Amino acid sequence: MHIVDGALSTEVVTGGAVLAVAGIAYGLKHLSMEKIPAAGMLSATFFVASLIHVPLGPSSIHLIMNGVAGMILGWAAFPALFVGLLLQAVFFGFGGITVLGINSLNIALPGVLVFYLCRSALAGGSSRKAAIWGGIGGAFAISLTTLFVAFSLALSGDEFLPAAKFVFFAHIPVMVIEGLLSAAAIYLIATAKPELFSIMQRGAEE
Amino acid sequence: MTLLRALVLFCLVAVTAQTASAHKLILSIYPAGAMVEGEIGFSNGDMAAKALVEIFDVDGKLLKQVTTDEEGFFVFEPKAGIRHVFRADLGAGHVAQAILYEEDLPVGLRSDTSGQTNESNSKKAVVVDSEFSAQQQDLIAEALRREIRPLQKELAAYKEKNDLQTILGALGYILGLCGIGFYFMARRRLKDGKDAD
Repeated sequence: MHIVDGALSTEVVTGGAVLAVAGIAYGLKHLSMEKIPAAGMLSATFFVASLIHVPLGPSSIHLIMNGVAGMILGWAAFPALFVGLLLQAVFFGFGGITVLGINSLNIALPGVLVFYLCRSALAGGSSRKAAIWGGIGGAFAISLTTLFVAFSLALSGDEFLPAAKFVFFAHIPVMVIEGLLSAAAIYLIATAKPELFSIMQRGAEE
Repeated sequence: MTLLRALVLFCLVAVTAQTASAHKLILSIYPAGAMVEGEIGFSNGDMAAKALVEIFDVDGKLLKQVTTDEEGFFVFEPKAGIRHVFRADLGAGHVAQAILYEEDLPVGLRSDTSGQTNESNSKKAVVVDSEFSAQQQDLIAEALRREIRPLQKELAAYKEKNDLQTILGALGYILGLCGIGFYFMARRRLKDGKDAD
C-alpha cells in the first residue's frame, strides 16, 4: 500500500505533495482541541497497525485503519495519517520521504470521503446501524486506497488495469478484516461514547 | 478509553507477533573481487527469482541488464570506473535501487579518472609486493568473501528490523506532537478569552 521512493514519476510525486499539503492545512484548520487526543490516538493506531504484517499466500498484508481514522476525524485525518506515514518513512523506511505527499493523499483522502459517506448514519442512528456503516466505511476506504494507488502507478506509466487488479485483489482480505474491525470499533464507540461522533462532527462544521 | 485500550492491544500484538517482515523490495550489492554480487528480495524473506536488474550510469544510460537466479542472486562485472546505479522494478510499485560507489569498485577500476573501459587490468593492479602470489591472493579474497557473506546478509536483515524501541519512540513523537497541538490550541483559546473580556 505504501508506494516507495522512485516508483512514481516526478509529476505525480509533486502533484500528490501539493494536494496533500492542501489537505493537511485544511485538516489542521479543522483540528479542534477536542479532536487532538483522538487524532493522536488514531495516528498511533495507524502507525502500529501498518507495522504488523500478516503473511497471507504469496505476500503479506497489513491493516491500515484509514476508514476509522476518517470516520472519526474527518479532514483532521490528513494531519494524523501524515504524521504516521512520516514516522514510518523515517524510522522504518516504509514508503519514503519524497512520496510522503502522494502516500498521505492515497491513504487519507479515502478516509475523508468515507467520513462524508457515513457521517449521518454514525451521528444519529442506533449503534447497530453505526456498526454496519462503520464496517462498510472501513472496507470501502481500503478499496478506494487500492484504486488511488493503482491510479498513481498508472499516471507514472504502469498499465492501470493490471496494476489496479493486482493491488485490489491483494487487499481483499484486508478489506474484510478491516471492515469487521472498523465495525467493532465504531460499535464500541457508538455504545460507550456516542458523543465522540457529535464532537467530531461539530469540529468539522466549524 | 476504548481507543486507548485498542491501542494497548495493538502494541501487545505488535510485540508478540514479530513484526519484522514488511513487504518491501530490497536490493543489496556486495563487491566481490572483479565482480559485483547482488541480491534482491522482499523484506518478508522471499527472494525475487528471475527478476530483471538494470544497471545504469549516473546519467541514466543503461549499461547492462542482468537477471537473478532462483534465489534472487545476480552477478555483474563492472567494466568502467564510474558510479553504477542498480535498479529493479518488479511492478506494482515494488522498486528498489542501490548505488555502487567508485571506491567500492574492483581494485583495477577504482583509480580510473574517466569512464574509459579497461577490462583486463583488474588482476594486474592487485598489490604485488607481498609474499603471496596472485593466485594465493585470489584464494584468500575468495575465502574471506565466503566468510563475510553471512554477516552481510545478517546486517542487511538487521537494517530492516523493527524493534520495540523504535515503535515506542515513534509513539512518543505522536504524543509530543499532541502536546504541541494542545499548547497552540490553549494559547489561542486564552487569547480569545482575553479578547472577549
